[in-house]
Amino acid sequence: MYGIEAINANNGWAISVVGITIVFSGLVVLALVISQLHKFLDLYENPRKIKNWFSRGKENDTPLETSAVIMVLTEEQKEIAKQFALLVRTMEDHFSLPRLLNLARISGVKNFHSNLNILLKSAIIFPDKEGYFCWDQDLYIKTISY
Amino acid sequence: MDSLFLEFFQNTGFYLCDYRNIIMIVIGMVFIYLGIAKDYEPLLLVPIGFGMLIGNIPIFKGLGLGIYETNSVLHYLYFGVTQGIYPPLVFLGIGAMTDFSTLLARPVLMLLGAAAQAGIFVTFLGALALGFAPNEAAAIGIIGGADGPTAIFLTAKLAPNLIGPIAVAAYSYMALVPVIQPPIMRLLTTRKERLIRMEEPRQVSKREKMIFPIVAFLLCCFLAPAALPLLGMLCFGNVLKEAVVTERLAVTARTSLIDTATILLGITVGASTQGDVFLTTSSVGIFVLGAVSFCIATAAGVLFAKFMNLFLKSKINPLLGAAGVSAVPDSARVVQVVGQQEDPTNFLLMHAMAPNVSGVIGSAIAAGVLWSLMAKTV
Repeated sequence: MYGIEAINANNGWAISVVGITIVFSGLVVLALVISQLHKFLDLYENPRKIKNWFSRGKENDTPLETSAVIMVLTEEQKEIAKQFALLVRTMEDHFSLPRLLNLARISGVKNFHSNLNILLKSAIIFPDKEGYFCWDQDLYIKTISY
Repeated sequence: MDSLFLEFFQNTGFYLCDYRNIIMIVIGMVFIYLGIAKDYEPLLLVPIGFGMLIGNIPIFKGLGLGIYETNSVLHYLYFGVTQGIYPPLVFLGIGAMTDFSTLLARPVLMLLGAAAQAGIFVTFLGALALGFAPNEAAAIGIIGGADGPTAIFLTAKLAPNLIGPIAVAAYSYMALVPVIQPPIMRLLTTRKERLIRMEEPRQVSKREKMIFPIVAFLLCCFLAPAALPLLGMLCFGNVLKEAVVTERLAVTARTSLIDTATILLGITVGASTQGDVFLTTSSVGIFVLGAVSFCIATAAGVLFAKFMNLFLKSKINPLLGAAGVSAVPDSARVVQVVGQQEDPTNFLLMHAMAPNVSGVIGSAIAAGVLWSLMAKTV
């Protein structure tokens, strides 16, 4: 048996539709879950945010975000911030500042001392209070697109 | 004494040689040439090519030398292929070397990996139309996933008689990704589309990378339990990598273990292509369908990316769709090359890795689905 007749006889159309539907739904569900994963983790790491949701509207609320002010950078500073972003990506989430400085020096980042200082002042790089530093990606994106 | 010489001569390869052995030896040499001189998937083509030479030395049946003789060494090594042992080991190594960051940073790109799996099911229909049995058609269709280990795994389960041609077709087309994909990509996209620059991906935390393989494994295997041997090993390998504390195991998985499995897989698959078993009309059909499958998978990924652009605010470069076929990392590299031919400052490689690794997950799920749907027919 050949052609359409063979496909019909072996239930080919149904198998194909079911197959592609399962593969697609599996990956869509996985994509949905992982697109929300960082938000759940953010709540897990900052439980105060959950509390803030429930107490929203109350006058005595204390603001959670401290980095509301965005520093205005020149185009050159933005370019250098992008270079630092690439370097930070090669490091752990909590990184040591001297190591970042050394990486910037090796990579030939222009005026790396003063530009790192700008990133610290703008709070894109902020201390984790345990001697290491972290990168605030949201603030970074806001700053470079400002 | 003359009769002794005659008897010996009748047992030599020169006497027993068949034109089909010669054809396969030439094909084996072409594979070795492509691997070494052209650098097309050398880690696969060189073992398979040499395996073809081994498998096509004409031998006197009954000496226990051939791969299809039950007491031969090659037969014991081939056991890992027929029982689907090597592919999960390869997947373990792939998991231990894959970085899912770009996928986690932009999960929507995972849909491109899903779309490219359309090639598998369209080819399944094509194989049925050509008169293959449903289980054989399913094994042939998986070539469109462009994932050698998955193709071998599914064929071992559904149509062990076709392992040779399907494995060789799958690996040949994977090696020919830089030749097959670019014309299709250019045909289906405009220059303006090829120039689209991708948004910089967000930074992914270590914790996200750690949780992803566990979530992906649970979700996908609850949905398609038959994908367990492949996805289980892929995700386990990735857990070893991301856990850091198991770095030693991860290093073994992505170096010694995957290399050993690849050598044994390549050499035995190559040796299974004995001229008299391999050179049949069905093998020709498999090669034609494999090529069609690969082209459809590439086109489906590109067209789906264009379709997504109708709804997305931040457009994606449709070339990324071609990376949805899971030939890791070759198809991602092809996307980068084709993109840079239009704009040398446009870097798409990192972004293309997202659909590329989701293609691996997608083809493993597709294999699981086909296996569970066809299990009753085997």
